[in-house]
Amino acid sequence: MIVASRDTDFGPMIQVDMEIKSFLSMWLYCDQISSYLARMVSHNRSDSVRHSNLFSSVANELLEVAFRTRHPDGELACRVSRQGRVDRIELTFPCTPEERQFYREALSQIVGSATGDRYMNSVSGDLSPSREVVLLELAVDYKAKLRLEETEADTIKLVVDLPLEDLPSEPV
Amino acid sequence: MNPYDLIPRFRAQYDTNNQEFSISGVVRPQSIDELAPSLTLLKESIARVRGILYVNIRRLTQMNNTAFHAFSRVIIDACRTRPDLKFVVITSSVVGWTTRKFGRLHGLEPNITVEEYDSQFYPGQSFLEEGGFIPILRTQTKMTWRHERKILPRHGMQPGIVMADICCGIGDFAVLVQKEFQPARIVALDHSRSSLDYARSVAADFDIRGIEYTYGDASEMLLEEDQFDLVTCRHSLQIFNRPELILKELFRICRPGGRVYITNEKNSHCLGEPRADSIQWTYNEVAKLFKHFEMDVELGPKSRRYLIEAGFEDIRVESFMVTNGDGDPQDFADVITAWENVYAGDMAVRRGDDPEMIERFRQGFQDHIFAALHPKGYAGWPIWVASGRKPS
Repeated sequence: MIVASRDTDFGPMIQVDMEIKSFLSMWLYCDQISSYLARMVSHNRSDSVRHSNLFSSVANELLEVAFRTRHPDGELACRVSRQGRVDRIELTFPCTPEERQFYREALSQIVGSATGDRYMNSVSGDLSPSREVVLLELAVDYKAKLRLEETEADTIKLVVDLPLEDLPSEPV
Repeated sequence: MNPYDLIPRFRAQYDTNNQEFSISGVVRPQSIDELAPSLTLLKESIARVRGILYVNIRRLTQMNNTAFHAFSRVIIDACRTRPDLKFVVITSSVVGWTTRKFGRLHGLEPNITVEEYDSQFYPGQSFLEEGGFIPILRTQTKMTWRHERKILPRHGMQPGIVMADICCGIGDFAVLVQKEFQPARIVALDHSRSSLDYARSVAADFDIRGIEYTYGDASEMLLEEDQFDLVTCRHSLQIFNRPELILKELFRICRPGGRVYITNEKNSHCLGEPRADSIQWTYNEVAKLFKHFEMDVELGPKSRRYLIEAGFEDIRVESFMVTNGDGDPQDFADVITAWENVYAGDMAVRRGDDPEMIERFRQGFQDHIFAALHPKGYAGWPIWVASGRKPS
């Protein structure tokens, strides 16, 4: 039987807090923060370099999602915690009510067996990847489990569980 | 502007001779406009090629979805307008996400295939992995360690350093180093998943912490540059057909002022008494056999040249002889038996040697064992140690 993890089972590892204004001032922060976090949390994984590479990919995509927020004020918080072989990224950032609704709908779509097909359709489409597609890709390529957590008004919290230790090394 | 912005993060190029478009580094643009020159180059490459365009992403360490979509789009469009063209995407088994992500393109366009570059540069690896060689590797390390533990401090080893052991094999050297010298951090990298599995299981069984075993290709590592005080690479350049590629990578990851330490053999100098002639004949043949498989087990004394040509300074070279007098002579004999099994029983057969040749070849190993176990005998296996400092 699989028992859902309680949040308290996840031990905190590292957290980065930033004014959203500062964060939005430079695109490269996404890359720098994700690389830094990946390096910090990967040392004691079974293959630290591989873990760091994969973790950085995921964290960067999430931070790029946050970078596209239309809400100019507030705080960005990126927290990493761990339970056993699963790493959790909690990304809290300001957003408009419309965006919050958008994320709610986007995440409700990331269930079921058709996620792979929908992701493939997006790759073959003409449009640049939307935030929804980016989140979908995390579920498809990294087996990430994503959900929204209720927060105060004007902010959103994405909770992403990553079983990177169990992601096959060989191509699928 | 932040100076970080000015550092080129990725590189795209086209090699006409090989019909190969390659992109490497970290590609995380905010918008596809930043990729315009690279996308144009890819389109121009497509326009020029006939037959197959190779898309080399072996050294593509990161690519965000914006970039992935932009490059994929160009390739998918080309498949539709040029059905005569095939695309072969070359990924690396080392970069976890690339094969999986680019592999999906085949589902969209059958003319796109993904090939994972692997161990073709490691001609010796299959022999060693398939031969049940692990116990012998352990014995070899035990025998060489008696010497190296005294030698290593002269080549930069000291407590508290950050070190990497590249081509770590089953990881036993890293364990011995950790116990003896207590470095602050050891990253141990190898291209054999089975060896790493073994190393991790040993570390878990003995509760050994502080060693990060990681899968990687020594000639194209994901490790960041300028980060290690000491980089060791033992007995590996000699079984690599292009040792200068590994040395270039060892140089890259070593910090300025740090040292790279390599050990290699000169197999034709293995010796023994009695029966010296037979032993010498066989080890001369060992050198020729490895040469046939593009490996240079005579590399030891060439270490100085290789290090100089790789850009190192303050080169230090020394050699030591592992002998039957180091500990239990049976250990020495066991190692020779394992060599005989792999070299005569496997490699010579694969080369197509006739039975008479193999019999004579085996005899030299048997005579080496005889010398090792003889009460008045002497058997030796010489190793060359060399290190160089990366200029500050």
